[in-house]
Amino acid sequence: MLKNINKLSFALCVLFGTMIAGTAFAQTIKIGVDGPFTGGSSSMGVSMRDGVRLAAKEINAAGGVLGKKIELVERDDEAKNERGVEIAQELINREKIVAMVGYINSGVSLASHRFFQEAKIPVINNVSTATAITKVQFADAKDKFIFRTSARDEIQAPMIANYAIGVKGFKKPAILADSTNYGQLGLADLKKALAAKGITPVAEEKFNVGDVDMTAQVLKAKSAGADVILTYAIGPELAQIANSMAKVGWKVPMIGSWTLSMANYIDSAGKNGEGAIMPETFIQSQQNTAKRKTFVAAYLKEFNPKNGRIDSPVSAAQGYDSVYLLAAAIKQAGSTDGDKIRLALEDLKTPVVGVVKTYNKPFSSTDHDAITVKDVTMGIVKDAKVVAVGEK
Amino acid sequence: MDIFIQLIYSGIALGMIYGVIAFGYQLTFATSSTLNFGQGEALMLGAMVGLTLSNLGVNYWLIIPIVCIFGLVQGSVVEYFGVRPAIKIKSEFGWIMSTIALGVIFRNLAENIWGRGTYRFQGPVADEPLKIFGANILPMEILVVIGAVAMMLMVEIFNRKSIYGKAVIATANDRDASGLMGINTSLVITFSYALSSLTACFAGVLIAPLTLAGASAGGSLGLKAFAVAIVGGLSSGFGIIVGGIILGISETLTGFYISTGYKDVPSLIILLIVLSIKPSGLFGKTTIKKV
Repeated sequence: MLKNINKLSFALCVLFGTMIAGTAFAQTIKIGVDGPFTGGSSSMGVSMRDGVRLAAKEINAAGGVLGKKIELVERDDEAKNERGVEIAQELINREKIVAMVGYINSGVSLASHRFFQEAKIPVINNVSTATAITKVQFADAKDKFIFRTSARDEIQAPMIANYAIGVKGFKKPAILADSTNYGQLGLADLKKALAAKGITPVAEEKFNVGDVDMTAQVLKAKSAGADVILTYAIGPELAQIANSMAKVGWKVPMIGSWTLSMANYIDSAGKNGEGAIMPETFIQSQQNTAKRKTFVAAYLKEFNPKNGRIDSPVSAAQGYDSVYLLAAAIKQAGSTDGDKIRLALEDLKTPVVGVVKTYNKPFSSTDHDAITVKDVTMGIVKDAKVVAVGEK
Repeated sequence: MDIFIQLIYSGIALGMIYGVIAFGYQLTFATSSTLNFGQGEALMLGAMVGLTLSNLGVNYWLIIPIVCIFGLVQGSVVEYFGVRPAIKIKSEFGWIMSTIALGVIFRNLAENIWGRGTYRFQGPVADEPLKIFGANILPMEILVVIGAVAMMLMVEIFNRKSIYGKAVIATANDRDASGLMGINTSLVITFSYALSSLTACFAGVLIAPLTLAGASAGGSLGLKAFAVAIVGGLSSGFGIIVGGIILGISETLTGFYISTGYKDVPSLIILLIVLSIKPSGLFGKTTIKKV
């Protein structure tokens, strides 16, 4: 018995010994990646992950950061808030990550970020768009660790409203939003943006993720006399809206958040989905900078997506850029300490050339959003692809 | 008025989607008093297998028998691994956990094979709506109603007229007595599971052109169908149709006339009322359990 206990304690010593050695002489820089790689949001999650992988591979091929290679620790949050929380705790406490990139679903972002804030580990939130992520949560904290490279709803909603009311001259918008944090927070931003133009939506309708029939919602918008439908939801349900509109034989333009560019909307809605308009930070066909050209070419070569179409180009580009920004900050900080990386991010000395744009002092201690209104353009679904509005 | 008719059409179509899934619950409950909680996943597997065949260029009408055979196999597997051990040791609840577990396994398997996206399933009829009595209806919705009713009728005729079906009914009425009469009751139970998955897989192919196909599609539909089965009565095929239509219409009407935010509430209230007034369901036979 005693012998066994001795054996056991020896084994434990060896185990702890290697663990301590492992952290003390880490040869890699561990960066966590969280997103939904399964389920309805996965076209965004997988594109984001692939963008992150591509950036990490390029950086490692060029010698890494501070002489160390980047190691990605990827986790699938299944778009579930509680999974996001588990992952956050696991990556902080067990994997001992240096920084975090990712987050597609606003609900998961809002549920998970406080753990990183408490552990002083910087997060670059690269896809989810709820305004609250950088503006409301931890507003009272002295140092904020959450950064963002996506266009927040506060930017998107006014652009949607402006395009529908200002450019197109519609007068009676109906808003259709899903019942998640994403849909409901977006709905609030959209109403605020419409109110600023003196417009009240003629109908506000809700639906759940997984709903297969939108007849009631569409009919309410129709009987309220709507001349345009504004949306805040994700791909499969957006497709059901387009299909239900075709069913009841009513066609008005659909303008909505950038999720209208999701592959599973475009593919599932087919010809019913053509002509949908949404704000985008990056459109695959708009290869108007050298970086964009090389990025698209490298992405297509590395992952070889079907028909040469990136499932979610916005997610891929923002994911890619988030890793380069992080690498630049770690390099400038000369350290993997969370607080030093945060300070470096808030004061990046050298511009970072990214896909969405060239980031010239993207963050400050008071502004953690890298994307501004002028980085966003309107895209439209045309022949099952997203192109810029007005593009031939 | 047009809007009302439109809502009724959509409610019936939606209700038949729920009903055709719920029908499978009733089949296994009749013979073994157990349910396959992986019914939604069986439906999803049917849709995904059908989608694969459809992408290979197989004709929609030819897909249906192939998927039905797949369903027979899948149901037998569920019964053999999930339900039979639980029945053997007379476990009251073991089958609940094991059918849920198998459902999760099937879903993960599907995610690995077909990916995680939601896909369009091209139906055999045109996508353009028809105008009937001033409201629009999709040809595919009519097909779902016809298909669902035809399937239920075929199963009923099989049960009532054929010798094998009579064995199923005998087992449903009194398992021990039919065992003594020489009916292989465990085979009958396996068969009822195979038949229930067959109906689910058939339903999957039938409704996928309307609901889209995806590995995660089974969960929420399976749950709605379960509510339909409870409301209609787990021992009545006819009740399932009525239960489905009640829930489907209540959803679309509430969505339009009250609020789309509350559209799922009436169906849950109906569920609670039925459970408190007539726990065996609207059309269910009240069974007295003798101890």
